[in-house]
Amino acid sequence: MYNDVFMVEALGISKSYGPTLALDGVSFSVERGEIVGFLGPNGAGKTTTMRILTGYLPASGGQAKIAGFDVFDHPMEVKRRVGYLPETPPLYPELSVGEYLAFVGELRGLSGKECRLKVGAVMERVGLVGWERRVLGSLSKGYRQRVGLAQALVHDPPVLILDEPTSGLDPTQMVGIRSLIQELAATHTVILSTHVLSEVEILCPRAVVIGRGRVLATGTLDALRSRAKRGSWTLLEARGVQAVQLGSAAGVQQVEPLPDSDGWSCFRVLSAGDVRAVLVALVHAAGGQVRAVESKLPSLEEAFIDIVGEEGVTRGSAA
Amino acid sequence: MKAVWTIWKKEMRVYAVSPLAYVFLGAFLFLSGLFFYLGVTLTGEASLRVLLANLAVTQLFVLPMLTMRHFAEERRQGTLELLFTAPVPIGAIVIGKWLSSVTLCVLMLAGTVVFPVILSYYGDPDWGVMITSYLGLAAVACGFSAAGLFASSLTDDQVAAGLLGIVMLLPFWLVNQAEALLPEDWAEGARKIGVLVHLDSFQRGVIDSSDVLYFFGFTFIFLFLTFRSLESRRWR
Repeated sequence: MYNDVFMVEALGISKSYGPTLALDGVSFSVERGEIVGFLGPNGAGKTTTMRILTGYLPASGGQAKIAGFDVFDHPMEVKRRVGYLPETPPLYPELSVGEYLAFVGELRGLSGKECRLKVGAVMERVGLVGWERRVLGSLSKGYRQRVGLAQALVHDPPVLILDEPTSGLDPTQMVGIRSLIQELAATHTVILSTHVLSEVEILCPRAVVIGRGRVLATGTLDALRSRAKRGSWTLLEARGVQAVQLGSAAGVQQVEPLPDSDGWSCFRVLSAGDVRAVLVALVHAAGGQVRAVESKLPSLEEAFIDIVGEEGVTRGSAA
Repeated sequence: MKAVWTIWKKEMRVYAVSPLAYVFLGAFLFLSGLFFYLGVTLTGEASLRVLLANLAVTQLFVLPMLTMRHFAEERRQGTLELLFTAPVPIGAIVIGKWLSSVTLCVLMLAGTVVFPVILSYYGDPDWGVMITSYLGLAAVACGFSAAGLFASSLTDDQVAAGLLGIVMLLPFWLVNQAEALLPEDWAEGARKIGVLVHLDSFQRGVIDSSDVLYFFGFTFIFLFLTFRSLESRRWR
């Protein structure tokens, strides 16, 4: 029964708070060692899904499994294997960093020397060495987030569930936390929610897009990008060529002339695929010159807006 | 079992560094000093009768203030998520927190032991009665802490939890104060619900099994309600 490949499985999870349906049949799975981005607008159900996976909330329907254990039937087995960083790091402002991490370690079943060693190791890992005596209430947002991450890691769980680990951090702190997550991904299975799309581009080979309580898309980032309605476009700067000529090239859908720059004509060429080579060949054949040719793929942002927007439109028309 | 100890340690640590505990400790010791002075000067006896009887009432106000933080604050600052996603049964969390408040209250009571010591210089107090009286107050601490913990599990507002705890406990005190006002057919039954009746025999030097059972039941029921209220919150 235990499927060794999937560390996290959501099988048609739904959750209702009274009459409101927060999650409506969410299904996805995460393989061992994978790092998956969990994307969606605010209020899409990301946090609710994570809370169900960690056993904090029970699902109203469906099944959640961590490392083959059902979250509902074997909560203790699941909780031992999951490190969870909620949206706001769960810190006690009165305790010092060292006291807090020792407490969390003991809470997760470590004791004595083992606990001290693991707390020391995790503090080194997240860059908290020398901070053990600092009181949590006095820490900056960036350090609170580090302690939050340390808390999730202290018992060395195979699965990490991180709810917006970089929200509210300044750019340097973001880079720090991201590189840490990247390091962790080598040895852990990671689910990471965010609405910062560039973060997903950097960290996650694969993403699950969720909106209004449903999975709207799953797949690699390239697959998600290809769902963007707008095709790719190419910026061309050339001399001795007309827009009409470019429009006749294979694969070109539309040519939009842009203002000239230093006597070079500029065009924005919309196309189905990569037409850079075709365009250059065409200009040369016409006896012209090319100064620059640059291809733009649809960004993940555009894909995201299209995926989430599609849903909005279909929902809207159904209502 | 280990989880209970872990939770207890953390709660004691938080008490040790939070000003609130010291404020109530100070207030408690001040009031007990006042009761002691008044009790001795007014009755002229070398006994702690007045002090001990009043301490139970003081506990009624102080204990909900000491327990109000427990779940209300965890919920507000988001740490409840940490506790409930740790491989620890809810029961252990409840017991650990309850024990920490009982411990603190016993420490407060221990602070008042200075009064019988003072008395023993000037008179010959009955140490047996003194010991059973303190046991009675410890039993009250167990029950009131459990009730305060239950109040704290119902809301995420500390102050509301504290007041709710006091309001929940007041009937158990008033029912003995206002016996004469109650209709006769159920005055007798109501009397037995009151805390003071059951504390009374402890303060006369008697440990009656029915009184022990009363405090045990009182504590158990409120701890159980706390457990259920936490469990049900996760279901909603």
